[in-house]
Amino acid sequence: MKKSSIFGLVVIAIAIAVIISVYANSSTYGSFNDATKTTSELHIVGHLNKAKELYFDATKDANYFSFYMKDNKGEERKVVFTGTKPEDFERSEQLVLTGTMVGNEFHASAILMKCPSKYQQGELKTTELKAKSASI
Amino acid sequence: MDIQFKGEHLLPGQIGQFFIVLSFGAALLSCISYYFATTEDAGKTDSFWQKLGRISYFVNAVAIIGIGTCLFYLIYKHFFEYHYAWAYTSRSLPIYYILSAFWNGQEGGFLLWLFWQAVLGIVLIFRSKSWERPVMTIIALSQVMLASMVLGVEIFGQRIGSSPFLLLRQSMEAPIFSNPDYLSFIKDGQGMVPSLQNYWMIIHPPTLFLGFAAMVVPFAYAVAGLWQKKYKEWISQAIPYALFACMILGTGVVMGSFWAYESLNFGGFWAWDPVENASIFPWIVLVAGLHVMIVFKNSGHSYFTATFLVLLSNVLTWYSSFLNRSGILGETSVHSFTDLGMFWQLITGIMLFLVLSVVLLVRRYKELPITKKDEETYSREFWMFVGSVFLGLSCFHMLVVTSVPVWNEMFKTKMAPPSNIKEHYNVIQASFAFVIAVLTGIAQFLKYKKTDVTRFFITTGSYLLMAAALTALFAYLSGLYKLNFVFVLLMWGSLYAVIANGKVLIDAIKGKFKLAGSAVAHIGFGLLLLGAVISAGTQSVISVNNTGEAYSAEFAKEENPRENITVYRNQPIKMGDYMVTYLGDSISSPNHFFKINYKRVDAAGKVTEEFTLKPKVQVSKGSLAASPDTRHYLFSDIYTHITLTNAITPVEAGSESAEAAHDADNDDKNYDAPIAHEVKAGDTIKYRDGYIVLKALNKETKVQNIPLTDSDVAIGADLEIVSNGNKYSARPVYMIKNGNVFDFARKVDDAGLKLRFSKVIPEHKTVEIVVFQQPESKKKFVVMKAIQFPYINLFWGGSIIMVIGFFMSILRRKKELKVV
Repeated sequence: MKKSSIFGLVVIAIAIAVIISVYANSSTYGSFNDATKTTSELHIVGHLNKAKELYFDATKDANYFSFYMKDNKGEERKVVFTGTKPEDFERSEQLVLTGTMVGNEFHASAILMKCPSKYQQGELKTTELKAKSASI
Repeated sequence: MDIQFKGEHLLPGQIGQFFIVLSFGAALLSCISYYFATTEDAGKTDSFWQKLGRISYFVNAVAIIGIGTCLFYLIYKHFFEYHYAWAYTSRSLPIYYILSAFWNGQEGGFLLWLFWQAVLGIVLIFRSKSWERPVMTIIALSQVMLASMVLGVEIFGQRIGSSPFLLLRQSMEAPIFSNPDYLSFIKDGQGMVPSLQNYWMIIHPPTLFLGFAAMVVPFAYAVAGLWQKKYKEWISQAIPYALFACMILGTGVVMGSFWAYESLNFGGFWAWDPVENASIFPWIVLVAGLHVMIVFKNSGHSYFTATFLVLLSNVLTWYSSFLNRSGILGETSVHSFTDLGMFWQLITGIMLFLVLSVVLLVRRYKELPITKKDEETYSREFWMFVGSVFLGLSCFHMLVVTSVPVWNEMFKTKMAPPSNIKEHYNVIQASFAFVIAVLTGIAQFLKYKKTDVTRFFITTGSYLLMAAALTALFAYLSGLYKLNFVFVLLMWGSLYAVIANGKVLIDAIKGKFKLAGSAVAHIGFGLLLLGAVISAGTQSVISVNNTGEAYSAEFAKEENPRENITVYRNQPIKMGDYMVTYLGDSISSPNHFFKINYKRVDAAGKVTEEFTLKPKVQVSKGSLAASPDTRHYLFSDIYTHITLTNAITPVEAGSESAEAAHDADNDDKNYDAPIAHEVKAGDTIKYRDGYIVLKALNKETKVQNIPLTDSDVAIGADLEIVSNGNKYSARPVYMIKNGNVFDFARKVDDAGLKLRFSKVIPEHKTVEIVVFQQPESKKKFVVMKAIQFPYINLFWGGSIIMVIGFFMSILRRKKELKVV
């Protein structure tokens, strides 16, 4: 067998190993309901319930932040995040949490939030403009 | 009915739009002309088609400059009727940021890319001689594809591209636009996002896009070679351009990394964010391709791999552009990119280059100069080839993970990226990097074709041992040995790469100077890996919060990293080896700087080192963006980042919830319940943060413009306050006027105190001082995170050395090259 063929086989083996390891490592997107059934980390997509309390008091503990999120199936849970409240959290349109359920709380190890205007500003604030043009 | 809008400046936009269409048309004509020049006029020295191709390419370049001028004009003139000017600039934006607003939007990015590609094309027209016709066909084709991205024209109801000259009223629906005088309501633009108001914004995107644009040159040569059946010749022609592309793109990526480290709050130099990863796919693949091209040039082996990798690198440039701009990364990336509705157009871009590559490779496969002979095991070409394949595998892994949202879209799955994504990347990529680093040394010790085996084993073995000894020492000192074993291996590999290539460099200086460029680049690469593994592996959060307040029993049980620390104003707190004090603020809109003082105190209580960092928070339209500040040492950096603060006033932040804070009646609410103390001169009052001494009581003659008569009495209490080692003084006043008692409280904001002189008690010969102290929550504080990055300078230094190595190699290859 030619050396390059052997090497080719090794490369294919490594490529397969990479795919398998990525697949094995990959988690899934799920809901809070799914999270109660498993102990492994899940990604949950949802949005912040802005009507409920966002608890963060830096004077007591700057590493404790809790809020309520509704997942895409409409189920709502309290979420606890060990860290500071992210900037502009209230303005988030969508949240992607990574973490596990602990009792009735979801403990997030990471929060990824989608804000409409972090780097791109694509929305016109029509509310204030409407009032002015209404009289004409 | 059409509305006649008032005050709009439509002319610059129309001229700009004309230039866009002109640049598209000229590029298309140039592409077609060069195609016929290659096919119809083959062998003719005087070709009409070639002339036409050149002229139309120059027209294309002029049109692109025209687009740029128009766009700059309307940004500079603040014509907010244009969406681009409105969305990215404002009247108060300084001129240098107005310049960089040019590439703030995606359209501007494409324009920058177009511009650089136009420049490179002109260079090629003058320099590529006999290669001009086929190579320029491809460059012009790429120019057509890019120009279509900013076209903004509707064809058959389908909008092609997104034009930077779109009017605000065309870009969105709002009732205001039914008013002909709508512009008088739009006084100012949205302004540039504060975190982009940074000097890196001026230099990073142009460099990055020059790198992307340069990727097309080696690709064009490869296509030209296959097309014109000049299979072997294209490779040596393309090597200097490939080196250039790698050098520039590498520089651009490292600049981005430095930007993220210096002034964005990513908390490090590489976050494995999909957008970051996507920008290095083409780089890695072209670096691999470059090595295999050199292998082919020197030994005649690995032709197919070289061609394949070069073709792939440009396809990946477009793929990375697709990932960044199509909005597909929405759920996995912190960079939020809006979808401009060009999803399918971006895919067309990828497919154009992919299909072209595949068709050419398949049709020419039988004719390719692929050697049937096996490489020697102990030859440089074989191990360079192996190293390049591993580079490819490293990119393959990154690509598979980064593209998870693409797989989901394609196969309708609901896969999520690995939950501990950084660890996943670090471990796997470190393994690949180890192999690659070791090979950069080994391959340098081997010769092309055949090598003396015994000597090779002795030198390689001794250098590997030397590196192992150093690794043992460094891993122990830096604490790296506690981590995953892969990182120790990587340290070994990168130290070996540095030492072995150092030896090659010394030899090169003595005589074989040709190899100096590669040796320098590899030393840089080794140092870069070393810096990355040490600083990423052993970075430590020094702002550990030990208050340990528990919120729920369950929560306390877990060992959560508590990485943020609350620092009150003027109240020193111990953090690692330092005493940290939040001294105060300085505001220069839109920046709010926080003065954070660091003191290193030795056992005897003497201050051995002191410095003040000024991390900042940028305030814009009620949203806040924090930028860290870093203390640089030769061997480590201390990085400080404000995560939260209550020191920014609502007024400053532009929010409407500004309270009437100075309302006297409500003022006492800002303090804890007052405590009254009965004291006489010389007495001391203790309070939470220190003590207050009543120095003396003095008769006042005048109180705040209130005239005093003989029957009136006013007494001032001289108070000295010592709070956390700082001294303040205050003088509250007690007054009896016309038989009524008044008192004038004094505030010491820095100490969070309000002091009242409320009573004189003649029978005890004492006075009453009332102390109001602010509760902890009302005092100004910052919540900050501080990280120590050891040996980060190896990473930056290594990057710079690598770029120098690339540059040296370009000079060498350019000298060798004979362009015909």
